[in-house]
Amino acid sequence: MLDARGWLLWALVALVAASSTRNPLYVVLLLLIAMIVGGVCAGDRDRRAIMSPLRFAVVAIPLAALFNGLTAHLGDTVLFHLPDWLPLVGGSVTLEALIFGAMNGLTLTTIFSGFTTFNRVTPLRDLVRLTPRAFHEAGVVLSIALTFIPQTTRSLNRIREAQAVRGHRVRGLRDWLPIVVPFLISGLERSMGLAEAMVSRGYGAISDQAQPPRTQRLLVLGLFLLLAGWLALLFLPTWKGIAVGVMILGAGIIVGVVWLAGRTVSHTAYRIHHWTARDTFAALGCGLTLAVILLPLPLMDRGTLYYSPYPRLTLPPFDLFIGLGLLGLVVPAVIGAAHRVDQT
Amino acid sequence: MVGLYRYPPEVNVRRFIGEIIYALSGAIGMLAFIYPFFLSNQANDSIGIAHGQDAALVTTALVGLALIALLVELQGQAISAKTVAVLGVMVAITSVLRFIEVAIPMPGGFSPVFAPIILSSYVFGGRFGFLMGTFTMLVSALITGGVGPWLPYQMFTAGWIGMTAGWLSRVMPHTPRTRPSKRWLPRTHRHRPLTIIVLSVFGFIWGLAYGMIINLYFWPFAIGPIQQAWTLGTSLGETLVRYTAFYVATSLGWDLIRAVGNMVLILLLCAPTVRALARFQRRFHFEVRSVDA
Repeated sequence: MLDARGWLLWALVALVAASSTRNPLYVVLLLLIAMIVGGVCAGDRDRRAIMSPLRFAVVAIPLAALFNGLTAHLGDTVLFHLPDWLPLVGGSVTLEALIFGAMNGLTLTTIFSGFTTFNRVTPLRDLVRLTPRAFHEAGVVLSIALTFIPQTTRSLNRIREAQAVRGHRVRGLRDWLPIVVPFLISGLERSMGLAEAMVSRGYGAISDQAQPPRTQRLLVLGLFLLLAGWLALLFLPTWKGIAVGVMILGAGIIVGVVWLAGRTVSHTAYRIHHWTARDTFAALGCGLTLAVILLPLPLMDRGTLYYSPYPRLTLPPFDLFIGLGLLGLVVPAVIGAAHRVDQT
Repeated sequence: MVGLYRYPPEVNVRRFIGEIIYALSGAIGMLAFIYPFFLSNQANDSIGIAHGQDAALVTTALVGLALIALLVELQGQAISAKTVAVLGVMVAITSVLRFIEVAIPMPGGFSPVFAPIILSSYVFGGRFGFLMGTFTMLVSALITGGVGPWLPYQMFTAGWIGMTAGWLSRVMPHTPRTRPSKRWLPRTHRHRPLTIIVLSVFGFIWGLAYGMIINLYFWPFAIGPIQQAWTLGTSLGETLVRYTAFYVATSLGWDLIRAVGNMVLILLLCAPTVRALARFQRRFHFEVRSVDA
């Protein structure tokens, strides 16, 4: 529906937003947005998820609350007292510390949920297509790996079945050897055949040409400026402006090298994706959220982004304009819903 | 007469510049992890709890740029079809193992991906090892939905595991060298048990170090008790003490399981795996020349 670049932008803005606020109301709003977008845009495509955000939340939030509650003895509302002789956990367990820990868990859940949505809505091929042209060989390795994964899984199952037919039972670690070694060798045999096929089709004719020395020298310059700028930023705080400028220059050189290296690689695509008006709308929504989070805009109280339950628990503040700005991230869901209505 | 092959001067210059790129990228990656230990000379001007939230994004961007530069350099040295094929297939094998790990939760931080990275890097060398570690993390993140801000750090650290495992083969070769090597080095191809022990200890150390390094990327932004939290302006010694307390309280048990798992897997798989990989490495030495040459 949306272009993979648009989804990448969405995920990055969601990450910036979630990590820039400590106000649980905004964090919950972002979590809801991520879940709505995932639900509307991904549909049934949830095969590539480690675990659902809900399952993650069930683990992360109580654990974070417990850890902080037991180890941070701050806050006025004392729930109970653990003996002082206990290392680390000895002292008062407060409501504020528990809430603060739960807030950390909530932020983690929101970041996780944002990237789960990104992983669900973006087809694997589109993600590989995002590989810059300069990484031609890296793209080939990625494609081979992704293409061979189903074959590799089938091969593992075949070997396990074959060994089982011969009476082999896996009872301990040592029993994996007769499975692992043939599995490895069959994979290497496949790579041998693939290498021969690639060479016979002339792959090496292009890839054996090393990059020009200019690229290497520019990379050295870019990395050096990046490192020097960062060191200056860390150790010479008074040089902050110059350091940031040097770092930007270094980053620019590296990005430029990637762009220049990419220009020498001809690229063809079987199915071309174009940036559409929908992508522009989604990007504008992301831009709105980013502006609300990062820029000191009038009529908005950016202080509400930071909230602490210490020393006594209070209700977190909420700025309506910031809340509305965060809703910019929901645009892909609106587009997705409209697209579904059009199709029906 | 048998003599050592001398590379042309331009190749040596290219290699030298390549080494500088490795060093600079490694320094940036390292700094991304350890910079919290060197901020003792700055005044604490952070905003309460949200101490430098933007620093996490900047650091991730810097690590990403260093990784990009290193990848451009590594693939710019002309990756042959053989390397591409074997790398792609080995990454697929290791990613399947990671997929199994996600599908069937294993105890603690145990992961079956590190042993193959270490063993294949030991046979195929440091450059292959870096790419193997990096691409394994990338591909497995793609297939398991694990793409996130943590990914560049995982890629960098896994790349270091592969690279250092590749360096091991320089001091502890797995096959008899055709070129004369340093006489004081052990001839490990004749003493397989020594290789197995060294590699399993290497796996154990990296099992702990991986967690220790990965923790560092979020530790300055994690909020917890003051004895374990990073704060701007504390001395290097105090920061180290706090990080140690944080690591022991939150991760040591988890990482120990990974370390022991690596060691057991390598003890079990090292001999047959290295033998198989070394045999294929020799088979991969075929060369295609044009008819005119």
